[in-house]
Amino acid sequence: MIVGRLIDYLMAAAHQVTRKRMRVFLTALGIAIGVAAVVGTVSLGEGVRYQAVEAIKEQSDLTLIEATADIRGGAIQFITPAKIGELDAIPRVAASSAVVREAYATKRQTYLEVVGIDPGGIEDVIRPKYLKGEPLEAGSRQTVLGHDVAETLQRNEGIRLGDAIPILIRRYDENGMPVDEEVAFTLVGVLQDRDDAFDQAMLIDRGVAQELRGDETAFDGVLIRVDHPEAVFGVVDDVKALGLTAEGAFQQIESVNRLMDVVVLILAFFAGVSLIVGALMIVNTMVTSVFERTREIGITMAIGASPGDVVLLILAECLYIGLIGGVIGDLLGIAFTGAINTFGKPFIVAQLGDTFSTFADAEITLITPEILAIGMAIAIVLSLASGLYPALKASHLNPVTAIRTGV
Amino acid sequence: METIIEARHLNKAYNDRVTALADVNFVIWKGEFVALLGRSGSGKSTLLNILGGLDAPTSGEVRIDGNIIDFSDRRALIALRRGSIGFVFQSFNLIPALTAQENVEYPLLFNYHNRADRRERAAELLSLVGLADRAHHYPREMSGGEQQRVAIARALVGNPFIVLADEPTGNLDSKTRDEIFTLMRQVNQERETTFLIVTHERELGRRTDRVIKLLDGSVVS
Repeated sequence: MIVGRLIDYLMAAAHQVTRKRMRVFLTALGIAIGVAAVVGTVSLGEGVRYQAVEAIKEQSDLTLIEATADIRGGAIQFITPAKIGELDAIPRVAASSAVVREAYATKRQTYLEVVGIDPGGIEDVIRPKYLKGEPLEAGSRQTVLGHDVAETLQRNEGIRLGDAIPILIRRYDENGMPVDEEVAFTLVGVLQDRDDAFDQAMLIDRGVAQELRGDETAFDGVLIRVDHPEAVFGVVDDVKALGLTAEGAFQQIESVNRLMDVVVLILAFFAGVSLIVGALMIVNTMVTSVFERTREIGITMAIGASPGDVVLLILAECLYIGLIGGVIGDLLGIAFTGAINTFGKPFIVAQLGDTFSTFADAEITLITPEILAIGMAIAIVLSLASGLYPALKASHLNPVTAIRTGV
Repeated sequence: METIIEARHLNKAYNDRVTALADVNFVIWKGEFVALLGRSGSGKSTLLNILGGLDAPTSGEVRIDGNIIDFSDRRALIALRRGSIGFVFQSFNLIPALTAQENVEYPLLFNYHNRADRRERAAELLSLVGLADRAHHYPREMSGGEQQRVAIARALVGNPFIVLADEPTGNLDSKTRDEIFTLMRQVNQERETTFLIVTHERELGRRTDRVIKLLDGSVVS
């Protein structure tokens, strides 16, 4: 019933709109340019975001997450065997392994970030590729070094595969005096360059690390391997729900997203200024149109239209302007992003340098159906909002004076 | 006979100075065909607008079909215009963007009739006024007489029991004037629709059932 009425009003308004095609088109164009600017800038922002995230995914080990202890509500959430079990039970976790983190120094004062982990965990969770050597044996004082730290040790201390790495572990005696104990680890393997924290890591057996620490029950974190990049953020949320902190390459994506949210918002805001101009054009056109049709509106009221009917009739005309503006705006926006890709990309790639070289062969703009739908919605909502004042003005006309004095 | 319009002690003043109507009293019976005569400025149009609920009197009472009109109740006034009263204007006042058929249908849009019903009733009335073959013409493509016929069809489409016509033949030549007048008379007789026609032409007054004369805002006969 109500829908039928609205359709009737839309059809009545269509007559008015088709009578003034040029005016409606020009007015719609005002909104369309604003929509195109928003669609263009947002899709550029989204494109850059997409490329940056893809670059991160490609360059880093996204599916590796480390859950660590956190302080929640004043209570520290330790990594307990129970927590380890809960973490392992999170859906889409392919493998997990508890770790112990230590800081050791060699005799010649090279600082080493030590990760104590099960040899099985190294395979399942870290999934390393060996530059040379082989995995360490469980329970032994063997070590596998990350690419960068291996290079440093070789350069500074001349340690090569098969050599023993002399490490000083500082303890304190009963008088509180520091006592350094020397422990030797045999270097059995070196990992390939990974571009993450494991390049600096010294991997040893977890049991050995706990024994050297003198505490065989505490863990510092759990390394988690997620089965697919798409599932990472879901697993992160689950880890956080357990009261733990999650760390990993995904944080880079989070910070890119945070940055791009702000950038896109600011870009869209400035592009949106042109929408205000478009909206004012609609107000102007519709005020003129109402003025021109003063008598007609008076007649319409005399033959039975209520002020509400008049408002709906005028807004129906604005809806057409919005629809036309939205369609043209989306099309112009697509054309605009095409232009950015063709002419703007070489410039942007040159400015960003090698880090973002992936941009060179990719589209730097990304038009999604959502962006186009938002463009359309902006055009429609803005047109209706702009039509409100002229429509109310029309509905407040006095039919007698409107018929007598109207042009 | 039943009364259909009853005006009692109607007064209308603009800005407390200009008196448009001064103590107007009259009764119109159901099915009557009445001319409202008077010079320009005698208050004819003001009276018509008040009877049609487009304007409110300063004081006095109007009964349409026995019911007192509450001029402060906008909804009631809209309902009155939708259901009880049809307007015919001097300058036809069709909507230029709509065809004859659509113009006649237009009031039914606000009466919330469905499309098929609107179409059927408008077509029926267009053939009543002899313009069935002009249904899809726009006002600018029609002569003044034809436009006024469409306007009469539009006034009748809501099945009103009163048609208020403000100088309906004022812009027409004498031959067309006759035709329009005859048409209104025919509708009056066939459908028993009450007509109140404002005019300043005495000659037309003679062809009506009765004449109400206004002079300076008062009924003189």
